[in-house]
Formats: sequence, C-alpha cells, structure tokens
Amino acid sequence: MATEIQEIDLKTDEMIINMGPQHPATHGVLRLLLTLDGETVKHTEPVLGHLHRGQEWQGQNRTWFQYQALIDRVDYLSGMFTSWAMARACEEIDGTVVPPRAEYLRVMLSEMNRITSHLLWLGTYLIDLGAMFGFPFYPFREREKLFDLFEEIAGQRMMFNYIRIGGVVRDPKPEWLDKLKRFLDEFPDRIDEYETIVTQNPIFLKRTKDVGILTQAVAKDYGVTGPCIRSSGIPLDLRRTKPYSVYPELKFDVITFDKEGDTWDRYMARILEMRQSIEIIRQCIDKLPSGDIMGKKQMAGMRIKAGEGFSAVESPRGILGCYVISGGGEKALRFRWRNPSFCNLAILPELLKGCPLSDIMAIFGSIDVILPDVDR
Amino acid sequence: MFSNGDEIFKISRLTIVWLAGIFTIVWMVCWGVGIALPMLLTSQFGDKAALTNEILRAATPVIGILVFIPINAMFMVLIERRALALWTVRKGPNRVGPDGNFQTAADAVKLLLKEDITPTGADAVMHTFAPILFFAPSVFGAVPLLAAVTNNHPLFHILNLPTGIFFVLAAGALPVVALVMAGWASNNKYSLVGGLRSAAQAISYEIPLVLSLVTVCLMAGTLDLVKITEQQAGGILNWNLLGGGALTGLNNALAGGGAKALATSYFMGPVSYVCAGLLVISLIISFWLYLTGACAEINRIPFDLPEAESELVSGYNTEYSGMKFAIFFLAEFTNLFVVSSITTVMFLGGGDNPIPPYILNNIPGIPQMVAAIRDSYFCSTLHIINPETFFATLWVIAKVYGLVIFAVLIRGTLPRFRIDQLMAFGWKRLIPLSLIVFIIVVFAREFVICHG
Amino acid sequence: MTDEKPSEAEKPEDKKPEAAKPAEAAKPEAAKPADAAKPDAAKPADAAKPDAAKPAAPAAAAAPKPAAKAPEPVIPATAGKFEQFLKEHGIPCERLPLSLTIETIALSGDVLQAALRLLRNSSEVKLDLLLTVSGVESNDTFDSVYHLWSYSNLDELVIKVLVKKSDVPEGDLPAVPSIANFWAAANWHERETYDLMGIRYANHPYMRRILNPWDWEGYPLRRDYKQLVDSLNDKNPHSMR
Repeated sequence: MATEIQEIDLKTDEMIINMGPQHPATHGVLRLLLTLDGETVKHTEPVLGHLHRGQEWQGQNRTWFQYQALIDRVDYLSGMFTSWAMARACEEIDGTVVPPRAEYLRVMLSEMNRITSHLLWLGTYLIDLGAMFGFPFYPFREREKLFDLFEEIAGQRMMFNYIRIGGVVRDPKPEWLDKLKRFLDEFPDRIDEYETIVTQNPIFLKRTKDVGILTQAVAKDYGVTGPCIRSSGIPLDLRRTKPYSVYPELKFDVITFDKEGDTWDRYMARILEMRQSIEIIRQCIDKLPSGDIMGKKQMAGMRIKAGEGFSAVESPRGILGCYVISGGGEKALRFRWRNPSFCNLAILPELLKGCPLSDIMAIFGSIDVILPDVDR
Repeated sequence: MFSNGDEIFKISRLTIVWLAGIFTIVWMVCWGVGIALPMLLTSQFGDKAALTNEILRAATPVIGILVFIPINAMFMVLIERRALALWTVRKGPNRVGPDGNFQTAADAVKLLLKEDITPTGADAVMHTFAPILFFAPSVFGAVPLLAAVTNNHPLFHILNLPTGIFFVLAAGALPVVALVMAGWASNNKYSLVGGLRSAAQAISYEIPLVLSLVTVCLMAGTLDLVKITEQQAGGILNWNLLGGGALTGLNNALAGGGAKALATSYFMGPVSYVCAGLLVISLIISFWLYLTGACAEINRIPFDLPEAESELVSGYNTEYSGMKFAIFFLAEFTNLFVVSSITTVMFLGGGDNPIPPYILNNIPGIPQMVAAIRDSYFCSTLHIINPETFFATLWVIAKVYGLVIFAVLIRGTLPRFRIDQLMAFGWKRLIPLSLIVFIIVVFAREFVICHG
Repeated sequence: MTDEKPSEAEKPEDKKPEAAKPAEAAKPEAAKPADAAKPDAAKPADAAKPDAAKPAAPAAAAAPKPAAKAPEPVIPATAGKFEQFLKEHGIPCERLPLSLTIETIALSGDVLQAALRLLRNSSEVKLDLLLTVSGVESNDTFDSVYHLWSYSNLDELVIKVLVKKSDVPEGDLPAVPSIANFWAAANWHERETYDLMGIRYANHPYMRRILNPWDWEGYPLRRDYKQLVDSLNDKNPHSMR
C-alpha cells in the first residue's frame, strides 16, 4: 500500500452537534458539545450539571444522621462506597472504634456492590456498542440476585444506608451467608458465560481494540483512577497500595495490564475485578469474626468532634474521597466529595480527539461514568 | 439453557396462531376477490361480467399484498420482541390480550392516533414523502415474488415478470433515496448523519448483494423468478444453496439413474467432480454474501448504523412520529420479509420440499393424503385449497419465517460495526469475495450439466 | 506498587494507623529517596506522636486514634517532611495544626505554582496525584485546599492557600493562581470551586461555571448565600433554563 493520498484542500464546514442531555447513550444527562468534521470529532466540551443536586450544600445543612441516609444517592450504583467514605472520614475525626465484624461486613458488602456496579456497566457498555437488545440482560440477571441479598440485609436494593458512622447497621443471619455462598459458587460460571459471548467476539474486538488509548502520562496528568488507570499499567489500587479497613488481611493482587490501555483493556480489567471480588468476599465469609457491629450510638442528634478529615476508598470507578470539616456540632461545616466519575470524565475530551462519531460511545462507556456521581 | 420451556411453548403457540390467522385472512380475501366473486358474477351475468372478472383477477394479488403487509408486520414485530426476550432472559410483551398477542395491534393504534409532528424548519413536503417513498418499493418488490413463492398459483401468475429478480433488486435500491430524503428533510443533524450513512452503506453493500444474486442467475440461466424456483424442484440437492443444480446428477443417480446419470451430468469425469465441488462451495459463499448484504441493505444489527440508537438517537427517523413513523416501521419489517422471501426463492428452492420425491413418495400415507386433499370438495369445486400450491406455501412460510427468526437471532447476538469498519468490510472483503465467486462460477459451470 | 506491605499486616486498619505510627517518614518507599531531610524530621515526630496515639491504640483493633482531633489540636513539635522539603527549596510555608496524620501546609498564593511544580516533579517526593482542589470558607478566610497523593508511594499532603476575607476587595472574588495550566487534573476542580465557592483562579484557561448554569448568580456554598426564589423560575426573563 504505497499509494500516497494527496491532501486536497477542500473546505468543509465543521458541524457542531449536541449530544445529550437527552440522548440514549449518555448514561443520563451528560451533554457533549461536539465539533465534528464529517464524522470525526474535532473538539469535545462536556457540559455538566444537569443532575446537580447540591449534595455538598446538603451535607452542610443536614445533620450527620440525615446526611448518611442521603449520601447513597451520590453514586447510586455503588452506594456502599459513598457511605463508607463518609463514615471513614467521620470516624477519623471522631476517633470512633469500628468493631472488626463491622469492618468485615463493610468489605463484604462493598465488594458485592462492586460486582453489581460492574455488572450494570457491562450491560450498558454493550448497549453503547450497539448490542442493543441482545446481551445486556444477562448481567442484570445476576445483578438481581445480588440485589435480593442486599435487600435482605440492608432493607434496600440500591440506596442501602447500611454503612453508618461507627459501624454497620444490621447483622446478617447465617442463612444469608449461605445464600451468598451459593451465589458465589455459581457466579464464576456466569462470568464465563458473558466472556464466551463478548470477549472474543470479532465485532466487539474491532470496536474496542486500539480505541481510546489512554497513555500513562495523560492519565496521571488528569488524575485518573480506578480500573481505567489500572488498565493503563499503573497499579493504583487503594485496597493494596494504601490499604484500609481489613484489606491487608485479605489475599488478592492488583489487576494491571502491561501496556497502555485501550477500551478492551478497561473491559477486561472490570471482568477480572469481578472475579477478584468473588475471592475477596469468600475470604471475608471465612474470616468473619463474631462480635459487635456498631461502635457509635446512632441517634438523630449525633455529633462529631471538631476537626478535619479526608478519607478515600476504592470505589468501582476509582478513588472516592471525602473531605469533611466538622465544627463539633450536629452538622458539618464543609463536605467535599472527590468523585471518581468527575475526575475520570475530564479525560473524555482528550480521548475523543480525532476519533469517529461511533467511537464516542465506545470510549465514553469504557470510562464508566455515573452522572449523579459527576454532578452530585 | 432452555430452562424456560414454558416461554418457548408460548412463543410457538403464538406463532402458529398468528400465522394461521394471517394466511387464512389473506387467502380468504384473495379467494373472495379472485375466485368466489368472479364465480358469482359469472353465474349472475354470464359473459357480460368477463371484463369485471379480469379486473378482479388482476387486482387480487395487489389487494392480497396490501392486506398481508400490515398484519404480517404486526406479527413480525411481536415475534421479534418475544423471541428476543427469550434469548435475553426477559419476558417480552405479555400483557395486552392473551399472551400479549394484541401488543402490536395496540402499538399500531397508538401510532396512528399520535400527533404527526413536522419539526420547525423541516422541508414539509419531503418530510412527508420520505416514508411513502420508503414503503412503496417494498410493496413493488413483493409483487413479482408472489408468483414464485406460491409456486406459480394461477391467481398470482399474472404478476410474473420475465425479469423478475431484476425488478426486485431495482425496487430494493430505491429506499436509500427515501432515507437520505428523510435525513435531510428532518432538519436534524442526527438524522442527516443517519441519512448519509445509509446512502454510503447501501451503495457499498448493494454490490456484493447483487453479485451474489447474479451468480445464482448465472447458474439458472434466467432472471425469471418462477423459472428459478421450478428449476430447484426435487429436493435439497437441487437447491441453489447447494451448488444450484451442480448436484442434480447426484440427485438423479440417487433417484434411480445410477452411474449413467452421473456420467451424463459430470461428463468430464474428475474435472467435473472438482467443478461441482467448487460450485457448491461458491454458492454457499454466495448465500452467506447475500444474507450479509441483505442485513446491511435493510439496516439490521450489526449493520444498523443509519439508525444506531446509541450514537444517532434514532438516525433518519428521529424526527418522525405518529403515522409517518408507523410507515417507516412497517416498511422496515416488510423489507425484512421481502429479503427473506428473495433468499427463499433464490437459494432455498421456494416452495420445494427439502426431501426429494423419490424418498417422500415411498413414505406410506403421504401420496394418499395428497390425493385425498386433491379430491375433496374444497379443492375440486370451490378451489379454496389448491393442492399444487398448498404444501409449497407451507414450505415457503416455514423457510421465510425461519430466516426472519435467524435475523432476530443475529440481532440478539452481535454488537454494531463502526462506519469505517463497515465500509472496509464491504469494499475489502465482500466485494472481492463476490467477484471471485462469480468468476469461479462462470468457469466451473461449463464442466457440469446443471439442472439437467 | 503492588507490594503487600508486610509492615502493616500486624496493624491492619484504616490507613490511619499506618500513617499515625511514624508520621510520614516510616513508609518504606519514602525512606529511600529522602536521605538528608527525613531521619531527623522523622525521629522527633515519632516521639511526639505515640503518646498522643498510644492510649487508644491497643484497645481498638480496627480503629483510628481518637486523640488526634481534640478541640484545640496539638501542634506538632517539629516541621513535617514536606515543610522541610519546601523550605529547603526556598519556598516559605507553614505547617497548620489541623491533623496529626496528614501533613497540612499553608502556602501563600504567590508560591503555589512553584511549590506544586516542585512537589510534583522532583524525584524526591513525587506527589503526582492531585486528588481534589476544594474551596472552604472559614470564619475569616477563604481556603483553596489541595489534596496531593502519589501514584508511586504512600505520601500524602494537604496544601492550603488561605485568602483573608479582609484582603478581598469589596465586590470582588478571592483570587488564587490557577494550576490548571500545568496540571490538567485541577482544571475541572478549580472550575467547580469557582462555581460553588466563588474563588477565582487567576489565569485559568476556561474559568466558567461547571455544575450550575452559566447564568447562575451567587456562590451556593458560601455562608452568606441566599437562594433567590426567582432564580429557579423559568419565567424569569433572564433565565436560560
């Protein structure tokens, strides 16, 4: 193919196209202002805030007790992690002692939540790629089973309000643990089932391989975290690199890929993370100590000592940080969330530069953004 | 895997009920207009009604098609949704009527009652004409097929064209214009991109599609759909799917011709055998090429880029609502049906029974059953059932809807191509492949007596 | 960085204990590059901390230390590691007595860019993960807070730029130099802080509201913010919503 294509200076107009906020594939209400040349993206400007609910403002105007029920809504697909980040920040300030059983339960349920989050991502990502009516519902089948388990222990399917400042709120029954074990036994087969259909599907490979390559330099510059950066070869997994809770006692490795990550690597990273989570939950069930589950009295007028604290947990999307300044009263002085979706979304204009229109969804989907998490 | 046998049973029941209903209604309309009414008029007015009868007979197929298309589209939408639901661990529509049988009827009513919106700044005339122009060719396309799929039934014989497949392809190329029109007239950038994509895609995939059909016509030596069907009669070995009669010699040998029949057909000995094998392979590739091209031509997943939902909202029909959208919808499903019918006629032997007659006639009971049907009052006097075409029609229905279900299965499995990959696949893979197949058939055909 | 960190296995708690034990200095990675500044900085901090932290630690297997957040925090006896580092490179800074576990440093806006460039790029510290830029309104200051982590080691640092309310001209916004020009991660965070807290980042490439509509009035997280009833009304002639 030694033919040289001569560049002909044809003037073509750029087209500005508004993708969203009402668009089937922007996962809610993201608006992308795209400048297109033909079908090639020249420039992207994400316009955020269509779902802005003033979560930080609400944190300052609600008591600690009220706010911890509200906070699951920040990232509705992984509510455990937002609760956990807030609880850890408050415990850090307050010096609350969290009983070990509660810590194990936190890890267990958070890992379950990680699985549900990744399952939903898997389904919607395939919708983004155009497998519109085919595959996406298989992950939802397993997700329902997990939600049933959540419902049994937390009383809620998505907005758990399970992790509280000082511990967790309900103790699982032994039957619940049996059910969970049964689920864990069958789930690896299900993941195999997804992989049979998806992983080596030629069209899927064509759509994802070498698309949206995220280099380490760009990723570091933008502060990307989570599976996105691990698939680019930077082993930043808070559970290992800055272990918190009982993660040091559990055996697992950080999932990384050698090279610079494309969308397929990000897909694979999440699939592997689901398998990893299964192992972590199994270990938690085995090691689950007996004892108390709550280290702080839960009441409406709960107070946190004065001070400031920052805590971070590894959510399914990356590092979820919570920065709390307490004045010692019933309400916080300042709540500040470091949302992984918000930070990861910032690389979107960088990744979309020069890619065709069809790849927008492949790339946008692969960084796994939850819009309520972006807009708060 | 098949843990939901209940659902499968329901879908089978639904299919049988709907198909029986559709074809009873359509056939009763055709029979009433084309046979019963002329009989009645003749008995009342004698020869004076001859002209009227001629007109009625000529109008029968058209009326039949117009009755058939909407009901059929309703059924196809329903079966697509139910079958997809089965394959994607969902339930599908099961609330309206028994088993959700009336879901699509309710949808149709909803669409007809919806407000018809023309967006601001849109070209109202083009916006209105686009769905009509999209729908009309699928009706044209269905017309010459009708004679072929009904095994040249006297009622539909009238529509047979000597250049049938040519006409069908010409009609099939028209909708692109409508899509570009719809995209341009909607005053919407998504629609515009969708329309342009559809033009690019249709032009690229038209070539392998036509070349694969030309290969078949080359084997058959005719463009006449009825003749192509008739050639394939006599069992699966005669079908164009398997070499377009390259195996006829084998078939004849099995039927009792012995080595003599083999020597007649494969007159060059080993060279002929090799060529027959080449023909079989080429025609199977041709079949696959046609299915791929047709999928692209009628914008089904994995080639549904013009209406790629996750990228272009709904592509060219984003701005359509109400009745105009209903027509688009109708035409899409009719196109699917037409494409399946073409495949059936060109590759799967039309109404031919896959079991060759020398086996079938030896099965006890079958010839007697056919004879009994032929002699019954319904057939011999009222002509409600024509025994020559009755079984053929059943086979056609089975084949066509089998292909429809196959398309649904593909839709339930594959993600979507990207536009440049689609183009590369079309121009770099399918077109060279179809040309190679074409050339092989041109030469290999000389060494085998086909359809002999 | 996949290492399992056996040093923490015996005390497997929130990142707190591991940070609390020997300030920042005891982390294995941190110890290796910083040769001159580290040891002498670490030793006294080591001595100072345990007596604050010890009493609670044995009892709580999985708990952070309670003593850190007394109403009037204990001022660390000596300069922290990063304070030392910055001072060595001629950047004036001061340690804030806000947290025993995370070093908190106050800088003036003029040296912010230089300090962050240094912290990010120097081979010694490598604080190259900017977690957030937050805006905080205190009683008499507006703070722009930078949480810095590292991709390759366990260091963490909080930098605060305090702008006195009395220094802000009437009708103007507190101004802090932007770091978005050399650190892309800060871009959206600074926009958000501008949007919600009303801290203007000078020389930001695209200083525009990010979460609220572009025509929003006021800065919602400020203490004196009053929600205009009419601003939520679509019939408002100035509304773009």
